[in-house]
Amino acid sequence: MALSKRPGPPRPRNGASASGSRLWTWLMIPGTLWMTGFLIASLVLVAALAFGTTDPLGNPQFGLNFDNIAAMADPAYRAVLLRSLGYALLTCVICLVVAYPVAYAIALHGGRFKNLLIAAIVVPFFANYLVRMYGWSVVLSDDGPLLRALRATGLADGDTKILQTGPGVVAGLVYGFIVFMIIPLYAALERMDVSLIEAGRDLYGGPLRTFFYVTLPATRQGAAAGCVLVFLPAMGDFVSAQLMGGPDQIMIGNLIQDKFFQGQNWPLGSALTMLMMAVLFLGMLGYLRRTRKDEAEAAR
Amino acid sequence: MSPEAPPLSRRSFLRTGSGAALGLGLGLTTAGCGFLPEDPDAHGDPDAPINVRVDGDLVYFNWADFIDPAVFAGFEKEYGVKVIQSNFDSMEGMAAKLNAGNRYDLIFPTAKWAQRLTAGRRLRRIDHTRLRHADSVFGEYSYFADPWYDPRSAHTVPFTMYKTGIGWRKDRIGDHLAGSWDDLWNVRAKGKVFVLDDRDEVLGMGALKLGLGVSTDDGGDLDRITDTLQSLRPHLRGFSSDSYNNLLNGNAVMTQAWSGDMAAMLGQAKDPSVLGFEVAREGAPVNSDCYAIPTNARHPGTAMLFIDYMLRPENVKKNIEYIGYPMPVRGSEDTYAALVEPFPECLVTADDLKDDLFFRNGSSKGERARDTAWTHVKAG
Repeated sequence: MALSKRPGPPRPRNGASASGSRLWTWLMIPGTLWMTGFLIASLVLVAALAFGTTDPLGNPQFGLNFDNIAAMADPAYRAVLLRSLGYALLTCVICLVVAYPVAYAIALHGGRFKNLLIAAIVVPFFANYLVRMYGWSVVLSDDGPLLRALRATGLADGDTKILQTGPGVVAGLVYGFIVFMIIPLYAALERMDVSLIEAGRDLYGGPLRTFFYVTLPATRQGAAAGCVLVFLPAMGDFVSAQLMGGPDQIMIGNLIQDKFFQGQNWPLGSALTMLMMAVLFLGMLGYLRRTRKDEAEAAR
Repeated sequence: MSPEAPPLSRRSFLRTGSGAALGLGLGLTTAGCGFLPEDPDAHGDPDAPINVRVDGDLVYFNWADFIDPAVFAGFEKEYGVKVIQSNFDSMEGMAAKLNAGNRYDLIFPTAKWAQRLTAGRRLRRIDHTRLRHADSVFGEYSYFADPWYDPRSAHTVPFTMYKTGIGWRKDRIGDHLAGSWDDLWNVRAKGKVFVLDDRDEVLGMGALKLGLGVSTDDGGDLDRITDTLQSLRPHLRGFSSDSYNNLLNGNAVMTQAWSGDMAAMLGQAKDPSVLGFEVAREGAPVNSDCYAIPTNARHPGTAMLFIDYMLRPENVKKNIEYIGYPMPVRGSEDTYAALVEPFPECLVTADDLKDDLFFRNGSSKGERARDTAWTHVKAG
């Protein structure tokens, strides 16, 4: 079901639109240069450095060396990569389940407070993620306010812990990235034509049936965009595992960070980065094919 | 603007983008094969004598909050200059800034990094005869007269010293431990033990427990160390260098810890008597930070004056009380001993230095082997 506006068939060209197209081309230049300089060029550097070595001072050197690629066969990396994938997927699902009702309530029942409510969600995220996570690690610590209160009320015993556990890490990831799920869902729900829901009711659909057959499919693209926006940063994150995780919760981001800092091995760090990007790219392919299919369906 | 203008095709956009990027990448590669410009002479002559006089404001680069602000104020007033401060949060970060061509007058590398920077001809020669207070350092602490990282301390002056031991909560696991690295395996602490999130410290601890060299990069040694540390993993709550908060907020009942952090806790814990600090009999890694002047410094004269100013007895005392790290300066020992009276093992003595348990630089291959071992320890 196509809900967003689709461009109509192209109109015949005339002089005015040709000069307009030249203007668009010129307007593309700053953005293109920016992306080329800071995104693509740095990616190319990372890719090239994956085949590099280090000099005796630990400075990275370009080269054509396959040691780093071979080093990635180490089972330790595979296990950590799989764990990161699992955590990121779980984070996605939890974010979706938590964010949907929030976005729904704001978009359809927020009334004149809509913007205020969205601001209330977005503004706290202006504070640095690391600082906020550090704050959580104090609140959730064994002698911190939360566990002390739980122990006092008998809901927790002396061995209960929140930090340095898998759920702790996933909770940190959910907290860190849920805003990226709420915003696209909100946009999709806000854009949705409410009369569709009314039509669903008119056709004797109960609230649940209307939700699953009308609302949910209509906002599918927003959900998919949200999942991508949450999954990508969650997969590469190292802050949550660093502050909320223990030895059994290390994520691939932590290992990559170690290579760039303590390990003084930028080439291996680059190779691991490329490996992670390859895994993410495979995941993205599925998403891209899905959206293309959606578009094709919509065009019919 | 006509809204219906056809957008630039994504393909041509990508082609333009990647072409330009490739050009950029190749340009960099062919320029010198190195990732960053590596011509040391571009930075200036390390051996040129420094004219000790005010030659501008001091551009200072150190860990955050590592000198008493009152000492800065005093220097600014006495010499009529400003101190322009910037901070690093890791040695790697410091080196990256230097490599990027940033210019500082005074930096504070650890021993290991001092050796690397000297080898790269990045540090100016410091003539000790031009420092009025040099003898209170080199005359008293003979170790620093000719340290391994900088022969005859030709490019550095030692600043602070510290060592690594075990901090614990006396109220949770008792007043006394066995005084050995084995204590980390103590069943009473199981599940609430942290080790530092630091490759050298953790591998070094395993090595000392097994009686091996702290910086070993021998494959057989590293396998034994990894096995030993794997047996510690079930006891571990995590890898973290935040010993201070972990002990205070109860996440840790025992943690590998740096002496300086423990000294700082004495001043800030509500009840310091619940804390203990011991040094293992198998040996305690030691380390030191030093003053150094990069070869591309704009104001090396002011930097020399600042080092001398910092070595004045009254300023040494102020700084020791402010940061909680001992300094190898004659006459400062009592100040530090009084500061860490509950933790006498925070003291770094001439004997500790003689044991020479510094972490050393290894070959590229050796560093790589250590790094792999660390990955196995950390990822399990």
